[in-house]
Amino acid sequence: MSYAFTLNGRGVDVDVPGLTPLLEVLREHLGLTGAKPGCGEGRCGACTVLLDDQPVVSCLLPGSAVEGRSVRTVESLAGADGPLSPVQDALLDAGGVQCGACIPGMAMTLTAVLEQSRDLSEETVRQSLTGNICRCTGYQKIVDAALRAAGTDGGHR
Amino acid sequence: MTVVGTSVRRADGDAKVRGTAVYGMDYTEPCALVVRVLRSSVPAARITRLDTSRAEKIPGVRAVATAADTPGLSGMLVLKDQTVFARDEIRYVGEPIAAVAADTIEQADAAIAAIELEVDPLEPVYDLEASLADDARVIHPDWESYETFLDGPRGGNLAWEARVERGDVEAAFASAHLVVEDEYRTPRQHQCSIEPHAAVARYEQGRYIVHTPTQFPFLVRGRVAELLGVRPSDVRVVVPAIGGGFGGKLDAMLEPMACVLARKAGRPVRVVNSRAEEQATCGPRENAIVRLRTAVAKDGTILAQEGVILCDNGANSSGETVACANLAPLALGGTYRIPSARYVSKVVYTNTVPTAAFRGVNGNYCVFAQEMHLDHIARELGIDRRELRLRNVLKAGEQMVNGQQLDDAFLEQALAKADEIAPWEELTAARRPLRGVAVVPMTWITNPGPSGATVKLGEDGTVTVTCAAAEIGTGGVATGIRQIVADELGVPFEDVLVTPADTDAAGYDHGAQGSRTTFGTGSAALDAAAQVREQVLDVAGGMLEASPEDLELVDGHVGVVGVPGRRVSLAAVAATAMWSSGPISAAGKFVAPPVPFDAGCMVGAALTHFSAASYHAHLAEVEIDPDTGRVRVTRYVVVQDVGRAINPQMIEGQIQGGVAQGIGYALYENLRISDGVVVDSGLETYRLPTALDVPPIEIAILENPCSYGPLGAKGVAEPSIIPVAAVIGCAVADAIGTPLQSLPLTPFDVLAALRHRDQEISPRD
Ligand code: FES
Ligand code: FES
Repeated sequence: MSYAFTLNGRGVDVDVPGLTPLLEVLREHLGLTGAKPGCGEGRCGACTVLLDDQPVVSCLLPGSAVEGRSVRTVESLAGADGPLSPVQDALLDAGGVQCGACIPGMAMTLTAVLEQSRDLSEETVRQSLTGNICRCTGYQKIVDAALRAAGTDGGHR
Repeated sequence: MTVVGTSVRRADGDAKVRGTAVYGMDYTEPCALVVRVLRSSVPAARITRLDTSRAEKIPGVRAVATAADTPGLSGMLVLKDQTVFARDEIRYVGEPIAAVAADTIEQADAAIAAIELEVDPLEPVYDLEASLADDARVIHPDWESYETFLDGPRGGNLAWEARVERGDVEAAFASAHLVVEDEYRTPRQHQCSIEPHAAVARYEQGRYIVHTPTQFPFLVRGRVAELLGVRPSDVRVVVPAIGGGFGGKLDAMLEPMACVLARKAGRPVRVVNSRAEEQATCGPRENAIVRLRTAVAKDGTILAQEGVILCDNGANSSGETVACANLAPLALGGTYRIPSARYVSKVVYTNTVPTAAFRGVNGNYCVFAQEMHLDHIARELGIDRRELRLRNVLKAGEQMVNGQQLDDAFLEQALAKADEIAPWEELTAARRPLRGVAVVPMTWITNPGPSGATVKLGEDGTVTVTCAAAEIGTGGVATGIRQIVADELGVPFEDVLVTPADTDAAGYDHGAQGSRTTFGTGSAALDAAAQVREQVLDVAGGMLEASPEDLELVDGHVGVVGVPGRRVSLAAVAATAMWSSGPISAAGKFVAPPVPFDAGCMVGAALTHFSAASYHAHLAEVEIDPDTGRVRVTRYVVVQDVGRAINPQMIEGQIQGGVAQGIGYALYENLRISDGVVVDSGLETYRLPTALDVPPIEIAILENPCSYGPLGAKGVAEPSIIPVAAVIGCAVADAIGTPLQSLPLTPFDVLAALRHRDQEISPRD
């Protein structure tokens, strides 16, 4: 079926079976490979995108469900040759990136969290990340990055 | 200006946070075919008929491969008992039988369904102990014919055995004040890198070119060649960005299938595992049984120890389990003074998916067993647990169980540092019910393997390192090697480039394993950079009319020491060299130097000693919820000797990540197998630690330099996972008053232990 939605601020039309997961639509049909297929079963969060500003796992979401709505992927966080977003910058500054496979999803979850509130504590950041698995970092430096990006010390230091 | 010792940002980070880094799971080639694999649904059977002729005729199917296309036998370094596809006999559920390359997934699926397979079931063998019984069916009837890289005891379902024996064990036991005996059981743990295995292969000019996110490109090259029956140089391995490995991406997995299909189809093929395939067919850390028996004196001095380690090889030796067999004795006898010892490490065949390396390999369960066992001894003798360890821990100049003298042993210092951060006396004095604490020292190895690296000076004054080291996320390539080379040549960090790993371009490298990238490849790169430095000084000396001894390399320039302004840029040096002495470049190399040890005490040992040994202390405090049995880690301290801290922030990241994986091993992770079938085929039931499960970790980095590490550095990445299950296991035992003899420490086990304890206490009340 064909449907239209807003992707990273621009309208797109696709013609793929409606049940094809959004992750596959993004990666195979729209050339955006930032979101990662870590599990394909909604458990790891590496495929996280923002749907109308809310984090969702795109591997389980039928593409047609985004019809008429707005989707943002990691590719939208910074201009292709522009400076990094505060979250991206903080992730590198804090040393929160190792293999990086979880990072596109982490960056989207944290972007949504920061858009909704700058008043973050370590605990609220950790709560918000429970749907995003990172196998490399042990999370601490990702949490540190979120607090840095929010410009708060999260009640520590 | 020096960048070594600073927490410089990783060189590959920008692409990773933008989502533009091309990982193995993202990489493809024009018109690449898709692949489906027919895998066995039975654990043990003889193949009586395999007919792919109908499958081959399905429209869109470009190639079908079976054992007939892959003649070779191979194995991870030591024992060659593995084929790509089951040949006559099926040995585990999930074993590849055939693979199909087609235009579309639907066509590939149809072809898989059209393959005709008939089998005669054989009696499966699942259990470690049953497998070694005299009447067990032999899983590899041809075991005697398999080639091995070294001699070692083996036979029937005993795939391999490594033994260490020193001192007069019998006499020590006879004279002991106390003998304590224990058995511990540990589960399989899956690496669960976020990126699944993936491979893209094409066949060009009679050679296989495979892009794969592997930790060890030269191993994959050698293994593909062996399995396909071609020369190693007929295979080229190129490594895109790697989305995590942890040992799971050392060995050839999908690459041989992709290569043979590409050749047969005449087109590139791309194969990517689903999460279910990943969990069910990619080798995890092996399950094991560890039996320890120890003789001690009245004051807690260890007199002798006997240990039997049974670990599960699975159906073949495609993983590192056999190669690591002798690490078990070294892990048991590398931290404490054990004057007499007899360790037998048995790697056992079963009809289950082959096991493989996962960070820390068998160290994790051997250290768990040893530390739980020491706590048992402390209880029996009424000695404080930390005190018992202090009495037995190896001091500088003393010998490990293999006779290797640890001149730089730093365990007492590590324990002292941990005590500074979290004083044992205070922690134990403030004891409350359902809270427990433990502290554990540990010695670990840095993988000694060889590396080649070349360094060239570019015409713009930048420096390029060519090596086959794979960046698996640790920062070894993205920071470590670059920092070392940047300082040696006095160039900004950003001006050091490293070419992506490509076995056609780079010299041999022993892979991203055992914490060796910054240590081993870093040493080779430093060796090359030092030669480039000499060439630069030579040319610059002529340009500046100064002798090389009076020159320094700073900020991308060569200058005369003490004469500000008298300097030339490296770009100018490169240009001058070009038409005088020729372009500036050099090749460097490294292999860890031999370390003296008692070779006579070991049999079947592929790993004989701890090179660049590092020293550690972990401390944990836990709290038990008496209603749910849930264990919460409330405090965690790591003291780690890194030799020399090249990038403190990356080191912290390795420590935090390793501890998180260790918490998973201690409390949650258990890749269950039932009737040969992997039960936890997804991340829904295979429980990984989340951001809420990992406490903040207090870290102290100690610098106790290694004489042959680059700038004194030792391996950093691997050890942080190893003592975690041990220290948590001991802390939980302290909290509930009952040791749990198996991992993971599930809420059910904790509750059962609490109930058992209460029942035992109440009659006396
Ligand atoms: S790929 Fe979507 S949650 Fe893992
Ligand atoms: S950085 Fe590797 S999974 Fe998070």
